[in-house]
Formats: sequence, C-alpha cells, structure tokens
Amino acid sequence: MEFVQYLVNILSLGGIYALLALGLAIVFSIVGLINFAHGELMTIAGYLIVLSLSFGLPLPVVLLVACLGAALSAVLMDRIAFRPMRSASVTTLMITSFGVSTICKVFFQNGVSARGRAVALPEWMSGTLTFGGFQIGMVPLTSIALTALALIGLDIFLRKTTLGVAMRAASEDFIMVSLLGLRANTVIATSFAISGLLAGIAAILWISQRGSVDPLMGFTPVLKAFIAAIIGGLGSLRGAVLGGFVLGALEVGSEPFLTTGTAPYRDALVLLAVVLLLLVKPDGLLPAVRGLRS
Amino acid sequence: MLRVEGMKIRYGAVQAVHGVDLNVGNGELVTLIGANGAGKSSILAGIAGSIPPAEGKVLLKGQPLTGLPADVISRKGIALTPEGRRVFAHLTVGENLHLGGAAFAKGNELRARRDSMLSRFPILAERIDQKAGSLSGGEQQMLAIARSLMSQPDLLLLDEPSLGLAPQTIDKVYELIEDLRKQGLTILLVEQNVELALSVADRGYVVANGRIALSGTASELASSDLVRQAYLAI
Repeated sequence: MEFVQYLVNILSLGGIYALLALGLAIVFSIVGLINFAHGELMTIAGYLIVLSLSFGLPLPVVLLVACLGAALSAVLMDRIAFRPMRSASVTTLMITSFGVSTICKVFFQNGVSARGRAVALPEWMSGTLTFGGFQIGMVPLTSIALTALALIGLDIFLRKTTLGVAMRAASEDFIMVSLLGLRANTVIATSFAISGLLAGIAAILWISQRGSVDPLMGFTPVLKAFIAAIIGGLGSLRGAVLGGFVLGALEVGSEPFLTTGTAPYRDALVLLAVVLLLLVKPDGLLPAVRGLRS
Repeated sequence: MLRVEGMKIRYGAVQAVHGVDLNVGNGELVTLIGANGAGKSSILAGIAGSIPPAEGKVLLKGQPLTGLPADVISRKGIALTPEGRRVFAHLTVGENLHLGGAAFAKGNELRARRDSMLSRFPILAERIDQKAGSLSGGEQQMLAIARSLMSQPDLLLLDEPSLGLAPQTIDKVYELIEDLRKQGLTILLVEQNVELALSVADRGYVVANGRIALSGTASELASSDLVRQAYLAI
C-alpha cells in the first residue's frame, strides 16, 4: 500500500524531472548548449496558463496554448539569442543562456508581478481514484499519464520521422548531416521546439502539484533536471529520462528515513548520493554516444 | 563541371591551402594525390562547404558556390564522402541511406532510390536493420558511398576511400569507383595511395604543402620524376 503510494510519487516527480532533463539533453546533444534559460520556458508556460484561464478558455485549449507557447518561445530564443552565436564556444553559449534567463526573469518580475499567482485547478483534478484498495490522486495520475504519452510520442518522432532521424544523426555528427543537404537550422530549431514543448508539459505538471505561478518558478525544477541529465550522462536522451526518475526516486525514497532534524538536509543528502554515483560512473549511467568528429 | 580558383583555407592562424586552382570536366575522374597533411582533404572540405574557404572561388557548372553553407552546396549537386567514412554509427543502415536522400526526394521516389542502392550493394540489403557502427570498415565505406549516391549528385567528392581497409576490400571499393565513372558520374578523388589513384583516374593534381605542385593526365603523372621519386618510390 505505502509502496504503491511511493511508486506513484516517484513516477510523477521523476517524470517532471525526466521531461525537463530530456529537453536540456536534446538541445545539448545537437547544439552543445546547456540552456540555463530552460526554466524560463516553464515560467512562460505558467503565465500563459494564468492568462488563458483568465480569458475563460476551456482546459484543453489552455494546456495547448501553454505547450505551444513554450515551444514557440524556445524557437524564438534560438533565433534571437543563440543562432547569431552558432560558431561561438560552449562557454560563450552558456553565458548567453544565463543572459536570456536573467532578461526573462526581470521581465516577469517587473512586467508581470514579483509575487506568485494562484492557479485554480479544475474540480476533478483534486479528487482521487480508487484501485482495489489503493487511493491515488488525480494529479500524480495525470502526471504519469502525460509523461508516458510525451516520452512515447518523442520516441516515435525520433525513430519514424525524417526530422527525428536527422536529429539523432546530428547528435552524432552535426556537420555530416548538413553535408547530406539537410537544413542545419531546421534540425536545430526542431530540437528547441521539442525542448520547449517538454518544458511546457513539465510546467503544467509542476503547477498542478503546487497551484501557483511566480517569476522564479522554473529555477528549482530545471536545476534538478540539470542534475538528472548529469546523472544519466549529459547529452544522452535515454540517460536524461533515467536520470530524472533516479533523482525522483532518491528524493521520494529518502523521505521515510528522514527525521524532523535531518529533513532540511534532504537536498544535500540527495546530492551527496549523486556525487557518490558520479565517483563510480563519471560519465553518468547511460553515457552519450559521440561519433567521430574531424 | 567544377572550377576552383585561388582557394585559400585557414585553420585559425595556420594556413592549410595556399591558393589552389583546379578544374574537373564533365564525366571525368580527377584525383588529388600527395602526402599526409598536404591539404588534399582541406580542398575537398572547402569545395563541399564544411570548412568555408578564406579566399577564392568555387564554381559548379558555372554557378558560384563560394560562401554558401554545406547543406546548400549539397543541394546544388555536390556530395562528399568524407575521410573516415563518418556513417552515423548508432543509426541503422536503412536510416543512414534514408538521410542521404531525404533532402532530395520524398515518399515513393526516396524508397525507389533506396531500393536501387540496396540492389547495387547486396551486403547493405542484408544488413539493412543493423546499426551502421556494427559493420566492417569496408561495409561502412560502401555505406558511406551509397549514402552519398542517394542524392544522385552531379559531382562526387571521395576522400581517402581506401584508408584503413584490407587489400581485398580496397579492390572492391575501387571496382565500384570505376563502375561509377563508367556510368558517367564526375568524381574528384583524394587518395594517399598514389598508384591506386592514378590507375583509375583520367587526370590528377599533385598537392604539396597546400599548393598544386604538378598536374597532368594520370599517365603523365605516373611517369613524372616528381611522382615517381616522391610518391611511388621507384
């Protein structure tokens, strides 16, 4: 009974980390950019939810607006900030992404509001479902279902579509992909769009668990996702998903062992476990594969 | 078909190619020979756009390609099979072929191109669902060339197709190159194995220290003192 409850919590929290880590990994594997503005994509999705709810739009439309808005914002970030820096070094790209992140945060704080805004969830989401003696909340259940759908959808996209196959090829050898006549900027823009879409879905799940939106809401989950991506092996897509669930399991799984005295140190203890893990497997659990680059 | 004028290529402060002129006629097989590090591969990369030349002109069928990105140059009709083959190791043979033609054909036309490539290379048909990284060196070279041919290029640039292959496999690769030439494909071949290159080529250029040291028909080059002493060790 308790075990099932923990499993549900691990899957729903780990799922959010997995979606975010996957978004970071997709862009990193193709462009070599660690996008620190990824969290702001979540925030954008969050404010789009608030905005479209205030217009009284039906829930499915609200969620669609949030996801597509985050995807479009990611593509715009690339077009405006990262594309002009395409040939720059990894460090320059990373600092550029810090800049984008800061600009977005300041814009939300001054242009929208520094304080959080409550998001009213629809009635049915606060309920629970009963499965043969187990009571499971609708929120974690929806989280798990949405995460599974997103992961399956992405897997099909990467295996069955030309653009998806080209993205996998680009993560091995980007120059070779353009030597085959495939448009480099389309492949990159698609990777940003997907990372934004995943951030949008993650934002929906994150907000459904916390019930509010604020200018800094993206920071913590994306920091965790970054750790998850490193646990899995930076740049490896399967690794990012696995890392997300491992981190979720560490966080949720450590709860029963924490007392009131040690509970505040949960994040520190979890990170300690990550450090130990990386000592044993420095490249992560499922290291990224790299083709030969000349 | 191809004309290169005054091409210069720099890697940071290092200049690899110092003003190279060359041309390749329709249906010709022209080879660039020379020692390791002479700048042969850089010239091919400069033509294909994977390393943009610092100076000079590249013209394909009279059309300037200078300064265009690699994907645009590829769509204009130049395919490069690079040194080291660079097949996508974690993609299947079928996926590698698919990507080779995806910018040039869709749907049935793309499938038809793939099928004709598979009947030309039965070994690839056998391994269609295997990861390209699991193929032998010779099979990977065949796949790399087949992937280039999927675009039905006007000009094929081949960079060191014999490198790292067993002698019997090299023979197979060169039989393929001769076949392609007989079918009228224009080929610019870079090769360290000078004897091999001159045995299939119509004409050649000797590249040394980033410059053209000598040019002529394959038989002229094979009998020249420079080539005999420096590369054929006769």
